[in-house]
Amino acid sequence: MDKRTDTYLMVLIAAGALLLSLFLQDAYLRSVLNVMAISALLATSLRFVMLMGELNFALAAFTGIGAYCAGYLNTALDVPFGIGVLLAGLVAALASAAFGAITLRAKGPYFLLIGFAFTEAVRVAYSKFGALGGTSGMVGIFPARALDDWMPFIVMCVVVVLLVAFYIAEHSDFGRILFAIRENEDVARSVGINTYLCKVIAISGACFAAGVAGGLHAFVNNVISPGDFSYLLAAFALAYVKVGGEGYFLGPIVGAVLLVALSSYALGLGGDEHFLYGGAIIIAVLLMPKGVLGAAGYLRSRGTSAKRRVDANAH
Amino acid sequence: MQTFIQLGATALQIGAVYILFSLGLTLIFGVMRIVNFVHGHIFAVAALIVAYILPPLAAGGLSAPVAYVLASIAGIAVALGLGALLYFFGFRYFQRDLVGSFILSIGFVLLLDGVLLHLFGGAVRGVPEIFPGRVSIAGAQITVQRLFLCAVALVMAGVLYWALGHTRLGKALRAVSYDHEAAMMVGVPYARIAFLGFMIASLLAAIAGVLLAPVTIVSPVIGTDYLIKGFIAVIIGGLGSVPGAILGSLFVASIETFGSYYLDSSYATLAIFGMVIVVLLFWPKGVLGRG
Amino acid sequence: MMIKTKLKTGAAILALSGAMASAVHAEEIIKLGLSVPLSGAAAVWGKGAEFLCETAAAEIKAAGGVTVQGETYNFQCLPYDNKYNAAEGTKVAQALLNREGVKFIGGSLGTAPVQALQSLAERQDVLVFTVAWGASLKGVDHPMTFTQMNTPGEILPLLIGYISDKYPDAKSVAMLNPNDATGQETEALAQKVWADNSVAVAGSDFYERGTTEFQPIAARLASLNPAIIDLGATPPADAGAIFKELDVIGWNGVKVVEVGTGADGLKATGGEAAEGVYMGAGVTFDGETATDHQKAVNDEAKAEIGESLNAVQIGFYDSLYALKAAMEKADSVDPKAVADAMPAVTFKSFYGQDVGFYGEDTYGRNQQMRLPIIVTQVKDGALVEVARLTP
Repeated sequence: MDKRTDTYLMVLIAAGALLLSLFLQDAYLRSVLNVMAISALLATSLRFVMLMGELNFALAAFTGIGAYCAGYLNTALDVPFGIGVLLAGLVAALASAAFGAITLRAKGPYFLLIGFAFTEAVRVAYSKFGALGGTSGMVGIFPARALDDWMPFIVMCVVVVLLVAFYIAEHSDFGRILFAIRENEDVARSVGINTYLCKVIAISGACFAAGVAGGLHAFVNNVISPGDFSYLLAAFALAYVKVGGEGYFLGPIVGAVLLVALSSYALGLGGDEHFLYGGAIIIAVLLMPKGVLGAAGYLRSRGTSAKRRVDANAH
Repeated sequence: MQTFIQLGATALQIGAVYILFSLGLTLIFGVMRIVNFVHGHIFAVAALIVAYILPPLAAGGLSAPVAYVLASIAGIAVALGLGALLYFFGFRYFQRDLVGSFILSIGFVLLLDGVLLHLFGGAVRGVPEIFPGRVSIAGAQITVQRLFLCAVALVMAGVLYWALGHTRLGKALRAVSYDHEAAMMVGVPYARIAFLGFMIASLLAAIAGVLLAPVTIVSPVIGTDYLIKGFIAVIIGGLGSVPGAILGSLFVASIETFGSYYLDSSYATLAIFGMVIVVLLFWPKGVLGRG
Repeated sequence: MMIKTKLKTGAAILALSGAMASAVHAEEIIKLGLSVPLSGAAAVWGKGAEFLCETAAAEIKAAGGVTVQGETYNFQCLPYDNKYNAAEGTKVAQALLNREGVKFIGGSLGTAPVQALQSLAERQDVLVFTVAWGASLKGVDHPMTFTQMNTPGEILPLLIGYISDKYPDAKSVAMLNPNDATGQETEALAQKVWADNSVAVAGSDFYERGTTEFQPIAARLASLNPAIIDLGATPPADAGAIFKELDVIGWNGVKVVEVGTGADGLKATGGEAAEGVYMGAGVTFDGETATDHQKAVNDEAKAEIGESLNAVQIGFYDSLYALKAAMEKADSVDPKAVADAMPAVTFKSFYGQDVGFYGEDTYGRNQQMRLPIIVTQVKDGALVEVARLTP
């Protein structure tokens, strides 16, 4: 697949998704579409940090910070939807820059596990603030009435814009620096790149998106609670990335769509949805190490090579 | 002073359990370079089996300690079986793949959550006291049960520490965790060593499970709290380091105990997470870690 | 690819709900949504709730169903797992209301997910039954919500009054609650009620749910040297573990779990130390007060879920009889008409007596089931009823 068809395909998908969000009428499917869009954004944010070889498990914490920020601004200070979501992203980006500056000196498993601990700490911390609704959470986070009918489209627009930004960043010089850091940080540093600064910028950019996703989550659900932002949120985002295919920009998006659809279906199975969800993750990572897209690409390349053989025979 | 001794004794008792847990985590990480989130379920399975079959065994006329030993053997056997299954049908393919193994372990966690809930039900099960009575040590009250648990944990930690330095298997495990390629070059069979390391870690978790069954709340979700504390202990101590795991466990247990006493239990939880971040500020690879 | 998948899923879901819709027509079934935890630490509560909803539905069906305008309807329970948080509670609400087309929530558990459910339900005029305690869920702003269980507001005054009468010399209390919505709610009220009964609160702590080591917590409680230890909304198994550790330290006094729901968990972890504990939301099936019907259902539940039934789960039985009574009185299956009729009906509760709704003085609306408030105590390993008040 060359780069031009790649770009065409993405434009097509983005346009399709936007049209779908505009014309879908069924209330339940609209809610599922919102979850898919927000999940795809979170998974893409996670993958962006994975480009430099780090697993950002604090993603759940920054999503929560964004959601609480938007929720508090809206319910206590009557800040409208658009500004609330933007500020949610900015606050999450600032917080993650501080977090990254401290923790990015550690690498690999340490960074992963600090993120995990940070997520749990932040989750307990919400419950200690009465202004944030304590453990019962915040209620009544509503966008303006006029926006109500347009929410899936608005959410999809925001998500598409941020996904495009991620795509551009990944294919820019900055993206190449991230790849270089993953391959060999020392080499990257030896040619004069301030790798530490790049890593902090990468994580705050990714967490800006996470904060926006959190803000959207708050406005879409109208209710948030500390339990929404446990480490499982990051674990599921990772599942989307792995199931879709870590090596592809579309991977986390495809993974989010597939797994959210699966979990929406499994929700009716009572407590048994864990079986299905856990099972799907295990099967996907064991049988499709490059994800669904990797498997699809493999099948297609076998198909084309078979076709080429046929063509060659014909000559 | 009296209070201090009592709290110190409590910290030691809790710490002993965290040690068993974190030793397993650090061992698996050292040998296979994977972060194993399903470790808590191996522990839970052992505890659940004991809670499940001990009452009928005891009702069948066996004396409590005999029934307990039988139930424990069954619990450890099942937990080891589960460990072997997880290894052969999963982690074997994801050695030294941090992200891949991690997501696989999350998949196992979700699946086993469902399986355990189905098999054992969500109700909390009571395990009768095996070694009744309590002793007073320097003014601190400790149940015989806890003392036994503490002693076994410390002995296990000691044995492991000694074995790593003095047995062939131990040396091979250490060699692999320092540099697995060099170890393979000098003839260490890496695949076998990795499997044995994984099984030893599972054994430690299983032992913790059967020891804790009579003194704690046995339900399918019991593993999570210990898992989180165990991971924090190894982060603080340094991943892959045995003394680090022991030190980290005692540190976490002390904060938990003294924090709960002087502040409030939920602030103590916050303090534990806060300490991790502070420790890593000064020692980015844990206090005794090599990275 | 993304679009195709979405459309496919959409089609599958539509086909599914279409099939269900036609089934509804053939059998005249009223779907009751349940938003309850079915996984994690609170799974046993959700499983018991599902069991009792189905028990009541089967009983009502056997007795001839619900008669509205000459037609016979039967209830069908749809339990969904809300995992005790708002995000999953929202998904459950969306699936129940917008996918299944549910118009009545037979019961819901957990303050955070119930808030999410209520938020959506009120926009669609869906009737909601809940066992969640949050005072914010009740009141005139929530005309479609009814509470199917006694909450701390009902229980605490009676229980604490009983204890301070019985132990006039006990003048200090130490409290502990889980750091969650129910814990915070209970604690705030308990502080006030203990003070009203001139018992000094020596200290009040919170702990995180999921804690497994209770020795430090017990040490702190004992150090306050209270005559009474009140574990508030602590789940029975945790409470048992705490009393056991208190026993080891040597503390001996009046033990209370204000909204303790059952003795099984308490005994499982507390053993001997559970002896003497007072509870405000326990239900006993051993004594002479228990009816044959209660005993039979409880035995079945024990085989099914492994624990005796508790007051939380019983709410999911009573709500079905309340709905039946209100539907027949309104002669309608429209949720608004049913909600309007609800405050005036009486129905036969699981507790054995006819009950109706009250609460206008406290909450501004008759939305609380008028259930008996029962004080129980663990005596010789069994739960015994020591006082009962029907408000």
